[in-house]
Amino acid sequence: MALHSRRRSARWIETRAALLFISPWLTGFLIFTAWPVVNSAYLSLTDYDVINDPTFIGFDNYVTLFEDPKVGLALRNTFVFTAMSVPTQLVVSLGLALLLNAATRASGFFRTAFFLPKMTPPVAIGILLLMLFNGQDGLINGFLGVFGVEGPAWTTDPGWVKPGLVLMSLWTVGASVVIILAALRGVPQELYDSALVDGAGWWRRTLRITVPMISPTLFFLFVVDSINALQSFTEAYTAFFGAGNTTYSNDAALFYAIYLFQQAFEFLHMGYASALAWLLFIVIMAITVVQILVTKRFVHYEGGRP
Amino acid sequence: MRSPLARWSVVSVSLALALTSCAKGTGGGAAPTQSPGQFDPSATFRGSIAVMGFGATDEVGSTRVEKAKAALGGADVKLIEGDLDIQQFLSSVAAGDPPDIIYANRDQVGTFASRGAIVPLTACVQGERIDTSMYNSNALAQVTFGDEVWGIPEFNQVQITMANADLLKEGGLTVEDVNGSSWDKITSAAQKLVRAPGGKLRVIGFDSKLPEFLPLWAKANGADLLSPDGRTAQLDHPAVVKALEFAVGIYDAQGGFAKVKAVRDSADFFGKGNQFAQHELGAMPMEQWYVNVLNDVSPEAPLAFDTFRTPQGQPLAYSSGSAWAIPKGAKNPGAACRFAKTMTLVDSWKAAAQARLNKRDAEKKPFTGILTGNVKADAEIRKMLTSGGEPWDSGVKAFYEANDHTFSLPANPADAEFKKAWQDAVNRVLNGEDEPQPALDKAQQEAQAALDKAWAGWTKRTN
Amino acid sequence: MRRRIRLIATWTALGAFAVVFIYPFIWLLSASFKPRGEVFDHRILPETFTFDNYIKVWQEAPLALWMVNTLLVTVLAAVAVTITSAMVAWGFAYFRFPGRGALFGVVLATMMLPGAVTMIPVFLIWNSLGMVGTLTPLWAQNLFGSAFYIFLLRQFFLGLPREPFEAAKVDGANNWKIFTRIALPLCKPAVAVTLLFEFQVAWTDLMRPLIYLRDSTTFTVPRGLKALLDQFGFGGEWHWEIVMTASVITTIPMIVLFFLGQKHFVKGIATTGSKG
Repeated sequence: MALHSRRRSARWIETRAALLFISPWLTGFLIFTAWPVVNSAYLSLTDYDVINDPTFIGFDNYVTLFEDPKVGLALRNTFVFTAMSVPTQLVVSLGLALLLNAATRASGFFRTAFFLPKMTPPVAIGILLLMLFNGQDGLINGFLGVFGVEGPAWTTDPGWVKPGLVLMSLWTVGASVVIILAALRGVPQELYDSALVDGAGWWRRTLRITVPMISPTLFFLFVVDSINALQSFTEAYTAFFGAGNTTYSNDAALFYAIYLFQQAFEFLHMGYASALAWLLFIVIMAITVVQILVTKRFVHYEGGRP
Repeated sequence: MRSPLARWSVVSVSLALALTSCAKGTGGGAAPTQSPGQFDPSATFRGSIAVMGFGATDEVGSTRVEKAKAALGGADVKLIEGDLDIQQFLSSVAAGDPPDIIYANRDQVGTFASRGAIVPLTACVQGERIDTSMYNSNALAQVTFGDEVWGIPEFNQVQITMANADLLKEGGLTVEDVNGSSWDKITSAAQKLVRAPGGKLRVIGFDSKLPEFLPLWAKANGADLLSPDGRTAQLDHPAVVKALEFAVGIYDAQGGFAKVKAVRDSADFFGKGNQFAQHELGAMPMEQWYVNVLNDVSPEAPLAFDTFRTPQGQPLAYSSGSAWAIPKGAKNPGAACRFAKTMTLVDSWKAAAQARLNKRDAEKKPFTGILTGNVKADAEIRKMLTSGGEPWDSGVKAFYEANDHTFSLPANPADAEFKKAWQDAVNRVLNGEDEPQPALDKAQQEAQAALDKAWAGWTKRTN
Repeated sequence: MRRRIRLIATWTALGAFAVVFIYPFIWLLSASFKPRGEVFDHRILPETFTFDNYIKVWQEAPLALWMVNTLLVTVLAAVAVTITSAMVAWGFAYFRFPGRGALFGVVLATMMLPGAVTMIPVFLIWNSLGMVGTLTPLWAQNLFGSAFYIFLLRQFFLGLPREPFEAAKVDGANNWKIFTRIALPLCKPAVAVTLLFEFQVAWTDLMRPLIYLRDSTTFTVPRGLKALLDQFGFGGEWHWEIVMTASVITTIPMIVLFFLGQKHFVKGIATTGSKG
């Protein structure tokens, strides 16, 4: 009996200590996550502009959402951008990582070169985009001009705005390259040795051994990059939106996160913006689940365990 | 078991609730009605007032700010410079920490009023005995709703035709060909003036200044974007569609808007290397203050001026401009009212004009005038002008003439949304995403929805 | 021989890509020393070399003040999040208590929640506290740890052997001492990664400064850069050289940071990926 209660009190002491250690997170979670989630759900059912009290309007915001052509436009833009940027980023970073892995010496130098752009603040990237891709004088079109190609008006022609953003996003694949490179270095050499004995070429070895072996990493990047792309904001906002910017603002660059931001903080439509946020949450969840279900079949996990 | 976890959650949730006390309006419901007694013309003020959106960067601004400061009798004036950022302003009202007075475009005042972000100035006008008859009636009408004045008009802007005389001459043209009196002539002039060696646009023939100047082209074609009572959008009116088709067609005739805009944007608009001095632009309609800029930075540029004209040959200008408004929750509305009044008095404008005149004299340059929202001040200032010789004198003459032939957007509680709707439509057409008719049809729907919603809210709030 | 050729081909390809990745920096840097009319001439060495842009940007914008603001926010954010995340991570890694698995599951789940959902209510909290317009909302939330770093640091703590802690406990050290004197020093690399990551995140953030800052005297550098772009880029006076110069000034601290902590950055990022 005494022993039992002592054990219980020892356990209680440990629990108390643990709770003290995790209390910052617990407090923060309740104030800055749990309560906001509840409040956001409530706000999405109201008409609220901060200046005046909220009025409860039921599901009106959600109805408006489906009637608002800009929501459809923003969703389309975001999907198209994600569908273009995520696979290209993945392919480019895989290619660069393979090259780095093949170069035994000096790979540190090149890795630094590829990683540096990732350090550039996204605002500066948005500005660089406007200048490098300027249809008239930009570096990209200047380069194309050397080959007699007349480059498009990347920053104004709605058909070329998203491709421009995608190309710009390739500049910051450095982190993915580092991640893939680490995975590549973890592939056991024996696998290659036996393949060499079988006379398999580089291409064949890459497709048959390397890619399957690092598929968990590629899959991870695929999911994370998609989630990020669906919420991309800063580069496009910097380049195409903002104060006093009526002639440049381009519908083709209106991403969902930008529209949400405008509704919330430029027009103070807090209720409507909350509804927009919940739609985004559902969309991201759905896409992630689909990705997990579909890709699961192609991802190789050692020991068959995720 | 009453776990510590449960206890912690209770503590934290109640803390969170205490912190946020649920969502409430920070405006504190309806603003207390102000009475004229609060605005005593003989009162003096202490402390300081914060002015948002106004940069007293030149002598016309700073002279009047000094006057206004003196009129406050001790209070300091703190300028938060830069153009009024709507997000910044609304968020400051939401935070219950607004500036005392804002400097806004007149076509933003309606939206601010209907959002409850600014207060009516009736008490201010009565108490400080502001003579509203001195203000430009168009300008005043634009900031008057439901019999109440919501803004004090400041500057006025009108458009005139500006052209590069050398380029016109080379093309065998005169300013008559580009002043709007014949749309066919404009199109053919644009084609004659444009230079694009090797497919690379170097000289813009004619810039129709879209999206900003759609109201001007539409009115020249006999159509208003909005009904006089400010309730019905008319963006899909055939005359508006035709005006847009024409103005966009000018860009298409020169290789497309994207190219024109790239050249437009690379110009040193406010510098001595501006597009007229560099011979990069044939002609465009433009606001009158640009005459002053051009005369200041490139007095030798070969310019030609005329009013903007309707196809019937009549001068026409779209009157826009700025106004002072007092935010809801302003800490010192009395001082703000005095400030707005003093900034726009005839004497203040005269003193500002004198300062400009002195500066120009010292630089041996002419004084080419200022257009204000105060007609009496305008008349006084006009007497002070000094001749700059041709072409500047005819430029000045043109903008004063234009100022007598203006129209403006009727006051309405959704003016910012309304403007956004038609500007978005024009941008879609310019970008090649849409054709004029469907773009304006869509804008019509958006605009009308915004107007209906705002008017409904307006009626509810004021009754 | 074939090996050699292949290696040379690899290096050539790598070199070409390295040029593509580095060239925009060089282009930007060189443009910042060019006068207005030559910005787009694409020369690597400016035809007319000038420092005017740097002087002008300093006159036009309170850059020094923006730097101080950003540095303040960044240091507070990084230090706060590192200390608290390490504490929480230690709580989850070292102690056994009922509900630990479930609670840690909640930590992981919060990472899945898009920031957009909480953005508005969190703004309303700061608004009701009267803190909108100050720098506080940009970092104070970091006082409560961050799920990603908690996850990262916990992984690290779990990899530590348990013996030294048990020994210290026997010697009578209390939990706080065990954490600060033994656990923290042992996980210096992970702490460094956390500090560096958060430093970068806080320095480059634009959205929160857009939401919370109004007065240009409180701007952070990215927010200020956006304001400069709105003023001097389109919609304003078309002075690209000013905007570019400000971009250079904003970017350089991050490049320096990278070279200072390169090893940790690379290792930290590689670790993130392997947890997939």
